[in-house]
Amino acid sequence: MSHDITRRRFIQGGTGVAAAATLLGGGFLGFDAWRQAYADAPAKEVKQVHSLCNSCSSKCGFTATVEDGKVMTMIGDPEHPYCDGTLCARGYGYASIAYSEDRLTNPLKRTETGAFEAISWDDAIKEISEKITQIIDEDGPQALVLIQDPRPSGSYYTKRFMNALGSANVYTHGVSCNMSKVSGMTQAIGVGDFVSDVANAKMVMFLGRSYADGIRPGSLHDLQAARKKGARIVMVDPRYNASCLYADEWVPIKPGTDLALVLAMANVLVGRGTYNQEYVANNTVGFEDWAARLPEYTPEWAAEITGIPAETITRLAEEMWEAAPASSIEQGWRAAFGCSHKNSGETARALCLFNTLLGCWGAEGGAIFYPSASAGKLTDPRFAAPPAPKEKILGSAEYPLAAASMGVSTFALQQIAEGKVKGVIFYQSNCVGGYSNPKQLDEWVRQAELSVAIDVQMTETCKACQYVLPDTSYLERLEVPEFVGGRVPVVALRDRVLDKIHPETKPVDEIFAELGRACGVGQYFDFTVDELADAQLATVGLSLEQLQEEGIVAFPEKAYKPGKEITWKTPSGKIQFTSEACAKAGFTPSPTWIEPLVMPEEGQFRLVGGKQTIHTHTQTANIKPLISISKKYGLERPWINADVAATLGIEDGDEVEISSDAFTGRTKIKVTERIEPTSLYLPSHYGRMIPEQQLSYGVGLSQMDFVPFHLEPGYGGTMAQETVVTVKKVGA
Amino acid sequence: MTRYGMLIDTKNCIGCYACRTACQRQNGLDGDVDYIRYEERETGKFPHVRIEAVPLQCMHCEDAPCVGVCPTGASYVDDTGRVRVNEEKCIGCRYCMAACPYGVRVHNKATGAVEKCKFCTAEAFEGKAKTCSCVEACVTGCRVFGDLDDPDGELARAIVEKNALPIAGDRTKAKIFYVR
Repeated sequence: MSHDITRRRFIQGGTGVAAAATLLGGGFLGFDAWRQAYADAPAKEVKQVHSLCNSCSSKCGFTATVEDGKVMTMIGDPEHPYCDGTLCARGYGYASIAYSEDRLTNPLKRTETGAFEAISWDDAIKEISEKITQIIDEDGPQALVLIQDPRPSGSYYTKRFMNALGSANVYTHGVSCNMSKVSGMTQAIGVGDFVSDVANAKMVMFLGRSYADGIRPGSLHDLQAARKKGARIVMVDPRYNASCLYADEWVPIKPGTDLALVLAMANVLVGRGTYNQEYVANNTVGFEDWAARLPEYTPEWAAEITGIPAETITRLAEEMWEAAPASSIEQGWRAAFGCSHKNSGETARALCLFNTLLGCWGAEGGAIFYPSASAGKLTDPRFAAPPAPKEKILGSAEYPLAAASMGVSTFALQQIAEGKVKGVIFYQSNCVGGYSNPKQLDEWVRQAELSVAIDVQMTETCKACQYVLPDTSYLERLEVPEFVGGRVPVVALRDRVLDKIHPETKPVDEIFAELGRACGVGQYFDFTVDELADAQLATVGLSLEQLQEEGIVAFPEKAYKPGKEITWKTPSGKIQFTSEACAKAGFTPSPTWIEPLVMPEEGQFRLVGGKQTIHTHTQTANIKPLISISKKYGLERPWINADVAATLGIEDGDEVEISSDAFTGRTKIKVTERIEPTSLYLPSHYGRMIPEQQLSYGVGLSQMDFVPFHLEPGYGGTMAQETVVTVKKVGA
Repeated sequence: MTRYGMLIDTKNCIGCYACRTACQRQNGLDGDVDYIRYEERETGKFPHVRIEAVPLQCMHCEDAPCVGVCPTGASYVDDTGRVRVNEEKCIGCRYCMAACPYGVRVHNKATGAVEKCKFCTAEAFEGKAKTCSCVEACVTGCRVFGDLDDPDGELARAIVEKNALPIAGDRTKAKIFYVR
């Protein structure tokens, strides 16, 4: 360590130096004596802690060096499959939330005037639990709803708490993320996720997903490896996204029309018989149904809809077939069909069926399934699960295709207005701020008899609730171990990197244990999170202490083995070109074209969202190292196509007014060649309306303000891109 | 003699800002104090577009204009070729900020001094500590750090192999070389 003496150190080291001076007998202290005193002062307390990031859902592993209670160096763990040795910009920046001036530091209760006032934990727990008990007595446990953005402890404790009360209504943020994708894929292949074996592929086609924008470093490393090996990479996206750096071809597409592209490519292959006929014959059901429906989807037909030339569509289909089985359409995540359009779920289903034509499932360089690991059954009766709730998650009848593991959270909020839901609890979820139209969600939450938000900082959701409970930051708590699937599955741990900073904050495990005890289901919370973690780890031959020491432990015996036979978890046990559930929900048995809910006409744009490398949802907008970048480089600006801008008299940096039926807002605009003409791209992170978020308040606009409340038929997605807007220069 | 330098391959840079936030963490900087800034360039017409992101930071010039204008001798070149700022001597006059052709010096309100990239990654290069410097943190691995005077070193070889050049010609004898 360097011993340069700087002014900063002099200031920081003030107390220690003064103490040393006294010990040295007081009086005037010369520079040399001071230097000696400084050198002899107690060394900084330095420790290293393994933990997991919380800046997005990937939860990458890192090792932090903590000096005197401050997080300094952070190194991505090489064994963690998602970060593969490097963190992204968010990982380093988000750590500053622990010291944010805008942290919630006390339980709050909204008064009759609408302002929040501090309340003790005892009173908050008592009042909330009394209300919960009253709602259960009067309306039953299904009148309670809990919405969370899944994290290791959050997922465990929220489900346990709600199930103990008898409610099945535990929702994730899925409606506004990847639920339609997961649900559509499940109808075709029985699971909601697969992985394109990018690093070994000959060709990969991406539909709207960009590994270099919504970064998971491990995936980005695979894309780089593919590029190095000469794989053909095609980016189908309304925007020239950052991953195009590694692509051979950018195929701009009108958003909401990916389904037409996939159907037309399938038609090319099936029509010519250039598909893996043996694979289809042996592993699928219902192929004839799809084959009979495809002929109308000609490349010319799709060209009209997608804006992609017919010959490009034909060529892409040919290239995918030539590269098969080392080719696939990548699964996507949120952007194009996670929750965006009326046809999102069916797009995901069609994508899986196209990949099936390639015969690429389980093939090297094709579409594969990574193995996972999990904790075994816990024998200690303290950890026994509460009985399964009698009823299904609310919304499952109305949106039968929606993944039950996610649920249609915004439908549940709508039921507040219908009188079916009386109480709602949010955990690390800014649902009101972005799952659908914020104004509408705010209105419903305010109508609830009980509303509680647990978070680290004030959010639109907290603001709408009666009670706000302050969580510890992710750096201050230990959580339930996280089992991560991958080429080599691992178990990793979020550990306490820092001591608790604000005494009146509590970690999620304690909050739900206290609520559970107060609601009369304390028997399910008779353990600490440390005991739970240790018990779970014991089932895989580890201990908590061991995992804390090592940070990550891999299961090499469970590593991915190519060529392993795949068990399809569908009703038929095969890949399903036809789905009975889809047919029951009003779709054709095999996927066909569905027009988006709205289409931009002359002078209108489809408002599209999408991630930037430095932000996640709305949760990072108020993080100083991250929002400082947005402000410095004007990243909050929406993008407009340069030629279109010219016809509207709009120049780069102009102030514009953007209007939809639901909202009108003003912001500066970015004029670029990187976007197709019918789209207006608004980064998904800005437009925060919370003055308590001092850094993000008033920066940019929020996509969901422009979007009305509505839900994708059958699948329940929030249809985030089903709105059209007009743009005009302010003052023109 | 050691003469530290760096190579940045912008053909491999996605402009993700990880080097900026990692640098802030490594150097204990506030979130709005940046040792690395970015210039982005878009070329071509839709749909034939190219983008280039160029991270810029102290180039550790051999003919460093910042050193020449510093009235107190706070800015200096050390014996490894690194341009450094002695914060004890810096009076925060910002002459050096005006003189730097690359616009990569920042005035840190917290310290009152002018600061900039310290080539802190040397610590890792010398095997003293693992760091999250821009070099080690780069998600796509576009940076190479090393000794320009070591002809067999990774840096010198990469500069030759990739024909890397200073960002704005050789007038200040910059020690960061770019592949573009």
